[in-house]
Amino acid sequence: MGYIKWTFWISFWVLVASFFHYTLPQHDVARITDTYEKRIDFGENSLFWASADTGNAVTSVNRDVFFIQTRLSNDNVMVYRNEDTGWGWPPYFKFDTTNLQAEASDLKSVAETPQWVVIKHYGWRNEFMSIFPNAVSVRAVDDPNVRMIPWLNISILIIFFAFVWAIWVRWRRFREANIDPVLEDAGDSIANTSDGVKKWFGSWRK
Amino acid sequence: MFALARLVVVGFFVLTIVYICLSLYSRSVRRDKLETEWREGGTEGANIEEFVQKGLEEYDGSLRRKLILGVYVIPIGIVSFIIYATNFM
Repeated sequence: MGYIKWTFWISFWVLVASFFHYTLPQHDVARITDTYEKRIDFGENSLFWASADTGNAVTSVNRDVFFIQTRLSNDNVMVYRNEDTGWGWPPYFKFDTTNLQAEASDLKSVAETPQWVVIKHYGWRNEFMSIFPNAVSVRAVDDPNVRMIPWLNISILIIFFAFVWAIWVRWRRFREANIDPVLEDAGDSIANTSDGVKKWFGSWRK
Repeated sequence: MFALARLVVVGFFVLTIVYICLSLYSRSVRRDKLETEWREGGTEGANIEEFVQKGLEEYDGSLRRKLILGVYVIPIGIVSFIIYATNFM
């Protein structure tokens, strides 16, 4: 019984953590090397792509997507897609995709004379599924070692965990007051017929 | 347009549920407070039903109750700010 319980809770929290890791904004310091657009035929990975520019047809099966190609300050390469999130999920309400592409193109630079930028983005890069993080904004910075404190993420996570804690405390109180006594009664009466059942009750009551 | 309509409809539905729950809760808290006040005395002989009724009617016209409309106002404000910050800042 313990294994099932732990498997359930570990998978649950891994899902919650990946949800936040995917959705919350993150900042990369990078140098934009190129910007381009490419026709994408969405397949199994369609979940990881956002929507067509707000106002355009939503029924088309493929479309051109803007990309921003960069080299990160830690010398890895990273490619971002640049798509509207529009009125949908995640709630960035990003409508200025084309303007962002113009800004990104303007900040292109070469290795000898780097122009560093901070790219705010959400999402994941995964080569096996051909998915890309979605850039939300770019701004130029002078120092590639600029330090950023993710205040927004900190506040969102604090509010989320406060909420979880509030529910958990109430559920625990409710269980101690209403469910545990009933289970104890049930356990006691069953114990007269079988010890094993009582042990089983005990194992998931803890 | 469809995406915006979906957001508005779903948002309105969810916020309405929150609004109804919150106003029922706030009213019951107010009722409890009025009952406690009556029991502690000093309310010039009015009986408890009349006293609570009168108190709740005052509550119905109060600013405190209208503040619950913030359930609608605050998310709209947050969304407007995000739209401004993402696209125009």
